[in-house]
Amino acid sequence: MTAPAVTRRRPEPSPAVVALGTRRRTTELGLLVLAVLIILGAYALASLGRNASLPADIWPFLAVLLALLVGAHLANRRLARAADSLLLPIAALLNGIGYVFIARLDQDLAALQASWTAVGIVAYVVTLLAVRDVRLLQRYRYTAGLIGVLLLILPLLPGIGRSINGARIWVSVGPVSFQPGEFAKIAFAVFFAGYLVERRELLSVATFRVGPFNTPDPKHFAPILLAWGASLVVLIFQRDLGSALLFFLLFVVMLWVATGRVSYLLVGMGLFLVGAFVSWLSFEHVQKRVSVWIDPWADPQGSGYQIIQAAYALAWGGTSGVGPGLGIAERIPYDETDFIFAIIGEELGLLGTTAILCAFLLLAGTGLRVARESRDPFPSLLAVGLTVLIAFQAFIIMGGVTRLLPLTGVTLPFVSYGGSSLVANYVLLALLVRISDQTARRAPERAVAM
Amino acid sequence: MNRQIKALGVIVIICYVAVFAKLNQVQVLQAQAYSDRPDNTRQLQRDFNQPRGDILTADGKTAATSEERRAALRYQRVYPDGELLSAVTGYYSFTLGSDGVERTYNEELAGRTPSLKLHRLSGFFSDTSSEGDVVLTVRKDLQETARDALGDRRGSVVALDPRTGAVLAMWSNPTFDPNLLSNNDAEAAAGAKALYEAAPTKPLLPKAYRERYFPGSTFKVVTATAGLTSGKVTVDSPTYPVVTSYTPPLTSKPISNFDGNACGGTLLPILARSCNSSFAQMAAETTGPDPMIDAAEAAGFNQPVELDLPRPARSVYPTDFGAVVSRPEGSAPVYEDTPKLAQTAIGQNDVRATPLQMAMVAAGAGNTGQIMAPHVMAEIRARNGDVVEKFAPFPWKESMTPEVAATMREAMVGVVTGGTAAVMATPGWEVGAKTGTAQLGTKPPRSHGWMIAFAGQPGQPAQVAVAVIVEDLPGVSAATGGSTAGPVAKAVLDKALGVSG
Repeated sequence: MTAPAVTRRRPEPSPAVVALGTRRRTTELGLLVLAVLIILGAYALASLGRNASLPADIWPFLAVLLALLVGAHLANRRLARAADSLLLPIAALLNGIGYVFIARLDQDLAALQASWTAVGIVAYVVTLLAVRDVRLLQRYRYTAGLIGVLLLILPLLPGIGRSINGARIWVSVGPVSFQPGEFAKIAFAVFFAGYLVERRELLSVATFRVGPFNTPDPKHFAPILLAWGASLVVLIFQRDLGSALLFFLLFVVMLWVATGRVSYLLVGMGLFLVGAFVSWLSFEHVQKRVSVWIDPWADPQGSGYQIIQAAYALAWGGTSGVGPGLGIAERIPYDETDFIFAIIGEELGLLGTTAILCAFLLLAGTGLRVARESRDPFPSLLAVGLTVLIAFQAFIIMGGVTRLLPLTGVTLPFVSYGGSSLVANYVLLALLVRISDQTARRAPERAVAM
Repeated sequence: MNRQIKALGVIVIICYVAVFAKLNQVQVLQAQAYSDRPDNTRQLQRDFNQPRGDILTADGKTAATSEERRAALRYQRVYPDGELLSAVTGYYSFTLGSDGVERTYNEELAGRTPSLKLHRLSGFFSDTSSEGDVVLTVRKDLQETARDALGDRRGSVVALDPRTGAVLAMWSNPTFDPNLLSNNDAEAAAGAKALYEAAPTKPLLPKAYRERYFPGSTFKVVTATAGLTSGKVTVDSPTYPVVTSYTPPLTSKPISNFDGNACGGTLLPILARSCNSSFAQMAAETTGPDPMIDAAEAAGFNQPVELDLPRPARSVYPTDFGAVVSRPEGSAPVYEDTPKLAQTAIGQNDVRATPLQMAMVAAGAGNTGQIMAPHVMAEIRARNGDVVEKFAPFPWKESMTPEVAATMREAMVGVVTGGTAAVMATPGWEVGAKTGTAQLGTKPPRSHGWMIAFAGQPGQPAQVAVAVIVEDLPGVSAATGGSTAGPVAKAVLDKALGVSG
């Protein structure tokens, strides 16, 4: 299969597309206003809870919030007119709620997070500008794979790589530190999508016999196994279990979706279990994570402290929470990054955590709908990959904080503090928006019917 | 691909439903269990950020209050009288936990009991908070008297109202300043605690109800009760020989009277003169072990103490004296441990009692044999002064029958009018008492001086009972208890009765 010809000049959209776009953008604007109201209310309440007064900067806050969101919205109107109307408002809501809780925990971090949000929105617009046709990315699949690998290796290089809290996932250039792994995820999604679309016919036909099993010819696997193996090795060396798990899921799910063969999923599970067992045997930090997961009270002041405090915060929140700003969660280490979900659980209760859960579910659902509507295999598979990244990253950290899963430190997308994560997720969002926009332009009737 | 995408959607939903289920478990179903875990300090942290009720003495003085601070923890616990009431109030520290009334009545002080919450609701439109004030039975003036009378000497004072069990005073020296432990500055509090813990005299221990001592001769009240209750001892018989010492069966170690005095006779004279030889013989030969064990346990020994303060120590009396060795004619059977039994009769060997326990022994004799449950809480008040809960006194033990109690009262009054506790005599009041000198078995000899007493109108239940111990005095003599603990007990008794001394 070859990439379709690309025209520099975009064709005039049909009236149906214009009508659909207008409707979707109006909906988006309405939802954004709703998100702004919720964020503003939460911001005011959190301040009332802490200082019994409205925040002094509530008007500047509102102005910046509106400027950023209206900016993104206008970009959608100009650059992705027919795109889905839910994606941006949900991301904005999550980002805003996250900001409110970061501001409530640490004013200095909040100022940084605000800057990162601005950078994220700019990155979003730039991505929409740069990627006019998402199918073009398929051409650069190997480049993307290479970039992904390079980004992953970057923190291991002496001089620029830095290890923070035991995970060597940081790169420092001058005053700026960032986690290249956050961007590597997107690069890998592009690579996997491009490669799998090209080879999926071959990969779905079992021609090669290994004992009693029919499997596709191993040579088709090689590049993917290589990329996967390399990323896993690097991640284990970097001690970033959460990201390792996420990469693995990305790989297995995309392989399964592309080929339609459940056996990939099963083999993937098997591979995962073997990998998990081997790393449990060979790495002390993995053993520690697992034993803390099984019984955090074995070492309540040491390794179990964080997860115990998170459980206490969630329990203390109960059904409706103690109220924004009224929690006492400052005692949880990494409260503004990995554990922000526990803070939200304490102050907004089960209602708040369920709302966040629903927002992610809605985001995932929208992402998968975008994937399903797209008739082109590559954009469709890419949308699947990007959705998997967001949906399962949120699942891994929410499950970790609630002790459903062993804790592996990843950020809660859009909510947690963290510049790299935020900017990367906005880029990811922009790609989903672009795919959605292109789909609607190509098949407006179908989209209208949805 | 569409089939897989749909299936993927289902997988995502399953994962999220699992998180939702787990959230329900943590935030709702098991939330209370998590919040109640002892290492969960969230409740405490919230408590330190909202007002807490005061602790007031029976005479209306503030024993503990919360002051608002502009700090991470909004409220700081303050005890205006420092050391004076620490044995009762305890302390309330963010890092060190709590003790005393601060601990037992924490829910009331924090305003979490149903009655306080209900009271708050009834004041519908007022925005009062629900924290409650605890009013003590302890009188500040009496506490000061106890402190001043004991002075620098180590020891404890307990004063009770025998009719209700209300603790009127409870002082131990040395003690601690709860302000230092309750400091919200964790480092300062930890430093103060370490300093107190390093002191060999254990100032952090409220010894009046949590430390056990040899009761010495004050225990003869229990021995006499055992004799009377068994029916083998009356005011008329037996008459114990006038000797300087008594050697129980199966041993050659004599039990001597103090200062080499010869004494003996019937019950009243031997209690008045505190004859070691006679009481040792009474337990060993007249009653035997079972009446002794019964009398001790009826007085509260070997039982968890019904007191509204944390972890009161239980007083102990041995319950096993071995097998019967012989059954001599006209005497209780001889047991393997009869020599030990003889020593327990005078409050030595394996007998240990808290000062509170000995005050209750006196209270029982002064209150027709009824020992009311001791308590320090009189009532709980809402912030506007409404009483939401009152302590309802209830009997804890019947230490003796009313008949035996009448005899014991007479016998103890005899100790004051014509015996070792003459110092306790107070014009206009019927005072009964018993001195004690508990030998510590050290060389050179040292001892605890004891005085237990009750006072009331003749024919009426006693109004006050006291126990005083002055610890670790040099020497051993019959006069030790009366001359050391006696004046302290007398001062407290007089103050409690309103007698100007």
